[in-house]
Amino acid sequence: MKKIFLIGFKDLKLMFRDKAALILMLVAPFALTIGLGLATGQMNMGSDSGISDIPLIIVNQDGGQLGDALVNVFESDELEGLVAPTLMDDYAAAQKEVDEDNTAAVLLIPAGFSDSIIPQEGQAYTNEPIDLVLYTNPLAPTSVSIIRSIVDSFLSQVETAKTGGTVIIGQMVTSGLIAPEQAQAAGEAYGLSQTGGQDSSIAIKSLTGEGEESEVNALAILAPGMALMFLMYTVSNGGRSLLVERNHGTLARLAVSPSRIGEVLAGKMFGIFLTGVAQMAILIVASSLLYKLHWGDPLGMAALILAAVIGATGWGMLLCAIANTPGQVSSIGSALMLIFGILGGSFFSLSYLPDWAQWVAHISPNAWGMDGFTTLALGGDITNLGKPILGLLVMGAVLFGISTLLINRRGIVRA
Amino acid sequence: MNSIAQISHLVKNYGEVKAVQDISFDIHEGEIFSLLGPNGAGKTTTISMLSTLYTPTSGDATIGGHSITKEPMAVRGIIGVVPQELALYDDLSARENLNFWGNMYGLTGKTLKARVDEVLEQIGLADKANMRVKTYSGGMKRRVNIGVGLLHKPRLLFMDEPTVGIDPQSRRAILDSVKDLNIEGMTVLYTTHYMEEAQELSDRVGIIDHGKLIAIGTQAELTRQVGEMDTLRLHVGETDPIETLVKALQSMRGIKKADQSDHTIDIITASAEEILAPVIIKANEIGVKIRSVDIQEPDLESVFLHLTGRALRD
Amino acid sequence: MNKILAIIYKETKVRFASLSEWLFFLILPIIFTLVLSASTGPRADADNRILLPLVDQAQSVLSAQVITELESSETIRIELVTLEDAQDKFDSRRYNSVLILPEGLDTENSANEVEFMQQPGSMDAVIAKQAVQAALQRVSSISSIAEQSVAEAEKVKPFASDADRKAYYDQALQNAESILSSAPARLTVEVGLADDSSDDEILYDAKANTSAGQMITWVFIPLIGLSGTFAYERQKGTLRRVMTTPTTRATFLFGTILAQVLTALVQMALLIGFGAFVMKVNWGQSPAALVILLVASALAASALGTMLGTLVKTEGQAWGLSIMLGMVMALLGGCWYPLELFPEVVRNIVKVLPTTWSMQGLLDILLRGGSVTAILPEAGVLMAFALVFFVIGVWRFKYE
Repeated sequence: MKKIFLIGFKDLKLMFRDKAALILMLVAPFALTIGLGLATGQMNMGSDSGISDIPLIIVNQDGGQLGDALVNVFESDELEGLVAPTLMDDYAAAQKEVDEDNTAAVLLIPAGFSDSIIPQEGQAYTNEPIDLVLYTNPLAPTSVSIIRSIVDSFLSQVETAKTGGTVIIGQMVTSGLIAPEQAQAAGEAYGLSQTGGQDSSIAIKSLTGEGEESEVNALAILAPGMALMFLMYTVSNGGRSLLVERNHGTLARLAVSPSRIGEVLAGKMFGIFLTGVAQMAILIVASSLLYKLHWGDPLGMAALILAAVIGATGWGMLLCAIANTPGQVSSIGSALMLIFGILGGSFFSLSYLPDWAQWVAHISPNAWGMDGFTTLALGGDITNLGKPILGLLVMGAVLFGISTLLINRRGIVRA
Repeated sequence: MNSIAQISHLVKNYGEVKAVQDISFDIHEGEIFSLLGPNGAGKTTTISMLSTLYTPTSGDATIGGHSITKEPMAVRGIIGVVPQELALYDDLSARENLNFWGNMYGLTGKTLKARVDEVLEQIGLADKANMRVKTYSGGMKRRVNIGVGLLHKPRLLFMDEPTVGIDPQSRRAILDSVKDLNIEGMTVLYTTHYMEEAQELSDRVGIIDHGKLIAIGTQAELTRQVGEMDTLRLHVGETDPIETLVKALQSMRGIKKADQSDHTIDIITASAEEILAPVIIKANEIGVKIRSVDIQEPDLESVFLHLTGRALRD
Repeated sequence: MNKILAIIYKETKVRFASLSEWLFFLILPIIFTLVLSASTGPRADADNRILLPLVDQAQSVLSAQVITELESSETIRIELVTLEDAQDKFDSRRYNSVLILPEGLDTENSANEVEFMQQPGSMDAVIAKQAVQAALQRVSSISSIAEQSVAEAEKVKPFASDADRKAYYDQALQNAESILSSAPARLTVEVGLADDSSDDEILYDAKANTSAGQMITWVFIPLIGLSGTFAYERQKGTLRRVMTTPTTRATFLFGTILAQVLTALVQMALLIGFGAFVMKVNWGQSPAALVILLVASALAASALGTMLGTLVKTEGQAWGLSIMLGMVMALLGGCWYPLELFPEVVRNIVKVLPTTWSMQGLLDILLRGGSVTAILPEAGVLMAFALVFFVIGVWRFKYE
């Protein structure tokens, strides 16, 4: 037993002395997490859409109360931080800003907009609708859709107010409660009392999966995602050095000494395991401190990390067992790292994949690990982690078994 | 005798470190010239300067009439280089390697093809030419390594310790091929720290140590220069009066020293051949039976030892 | 020159001698492109809207109204599910968001509330939430119009009976619904195109975004890995040997770099072909612009690889560095997520990266319908990058 520990700790030390390996083990996942953090807007005071200060230019040629109201909406305190509007007079110049990718969109409120909605004295009630024009930047689709939904919301309120007036007055006329001549005046009176927007009378309550309300930070998912992805690199690196030892016969030498092949392999696997745990621990702790992440349950987290590393280590051993040269282990290992990363949900949520793909994704330790980390981020604890932990342990055990079989069969020494 | 290369006061310093200090010598056309010295003596640095890889700190050399400092490209065209480590592309076949390097030497088209075929024959790999180099044995790889240096029919071939770390069979093959090449007219500059190789191959030898050329000449000139003695070793019978013989030998003319250990007597003398007869007569007189006799002539190892006080293989 | 051709042949053969090179050359880029584009935007099937699973525990008039309103949404698509199913799929990250209409949600109540579950970091969940908010607003406004109608009517003359009031209310509700549903849109959306675009109608295509971004990523990575080629030849001693042949340093460098650039161009052509024929990406109206931009990008990337080649000592180092640098530069350059999501400050900082410019150029072609004049600024910057990196790389070039 002691031999296993000795071999393991020796390998751990060796791994951390390899500068090239350290780049991919620690620096790369960190750099990518920061990059992703920037992309999701978590580096500033995050709005929960991950986007902030959307640049918008408003050209208000209306001169009426609705135009002003719309401008007020964008300049309001509620949208501060989400949208950063500027006003311009020249529509062509504003369009140029869009074309030069300096702003997300231009909102043109044409002359007569208000008039087309609010009936004026002496004019016919039904006017030709005058449309708002949203001139959009094709490179900023998310920003545009957010702006658009704000405009839609405003228009819907306007429409509601207008409809309200029509319905209420119209119904009173048809049921004979007021005379048709009075309709106009009543309509105006009604319209004036509806200058404000109406809040929905139905509220939305945000839940997490466990039925509690909580603030969730997207980085809580991204950071472990990156860590898991580069964990695959570490274990395949471990598999590679194991293969080097096989090729050089030093492994056989160890095996011929009073210890069985299984023991020696277990020792090497332990070394890979230790390195993986060290890497995960460093990355998770560092990113938690840096991004102020809150994990639900430290015990659950620790158990999840250990299980994830066990699962991943199994893959490292398998790579060593089937590859012929260290070079092969490196390249297949890198490819696996990237494929598992993307399938396992390190870059985006699995929900986008069709069902069968989600199922396939679970051959990777990443998928199980991400399941667990998501649960933790949403406030779960170790009792909710049963499925992922079990899956990872089984993965590790099965792969270790297969690898040992293969290595035994193909010979502990390979030319 | 023509000099194909004149090396003149070459110096190479790396900051404080003086790797090569003022080396001058000639290489005669058609000879095998060995540069013999222990590891770190400056052999590789010297040969690197001569093959225009390094710029000398000072000094110059002309090879085939071209200066290494002023006309390096011209020099490269007439020298062949066989580096110490294998400089080949493992994933390419021998033929592909030769094609590539031939191209680098400016050979093209039919000329290139013909040369590649010739060289493959010469190194004995014609039938395995299309297999990847990574599948070759160590000896075969060495042969390809040499082959590359021959493609453009160089006038001077540099071989930098070509037999380090290989099996005796391959080493034998390489030494034989160097001799063959020389017979065909190739001039070779051969560096090594193995005395036996220098001894076997060379017409002339330059002994180099700590960046300095400490001796140069034919092997006979070198050993004569330092005036080394022969060693005559007698293996005698057990019960014979050995000490008596030793004492008698010690006072004989022409014998510098006589030592005894176990059943052998080592006699240091100027010429073992001349003293052999008197020694045997003396032994007979005293009644010592001589079982066998070894004559060890002075060799480069002993020259080096004499000059530096250290063994060649330290 | 023959020497250049010989070097190109050698480089290509050595590089593709290992089958695993094909992984990074074609297989991985294709996998990544396919999978990532499945994750963003339009789906292969006809309905492009975002899926919103809905649990109707209320089964009331109000919940029915909410459902009807949501069904007419342009951005989301409702699917009725059970609570257990929803919880399960949400926990296993298959659902991004879930809307629950709880028991008791009814017009009779004064404080109505729906429940919304969302996965952290999911843009789709955020958009779904907005759509729900908009729908709720509409529903509540219809009922409030009806209520007000009743109230106003009552001010003039009280109702004879509860039944009368209810009838009036229902009529108001109906009127409100019909008027609102036939209301004009009042909003026209236009897309800003490049000046020299010949296309009038370009719709945002997330697949195009992904194809472009992935192509840049997977082309930059091996070109940066060029640094490894030099390290490899240094380690092998072949670089040193070349320096003893009458081949100039310049010829060797040029040949090696050209080999990689040509390979990259072939790779890009293959990936474009894949995008065009398999994923039906529209690669823009101007092949000339595309070629100019891609060549400039390849030059910038290989120049960067050459410069890095003077810094790395072993192939292993080069490998790790190129994957990391390639991915980080691609990510920060907007290849994985659009730059619009980055804060303003960051958007300016990332202009020091060649990937940013490559991506910008590709997007101009893909989304703005731009042609050669549109991408000249980006191509120019990329060539400047190439020049600077090459100069540094050649100046510092060591053969051992």
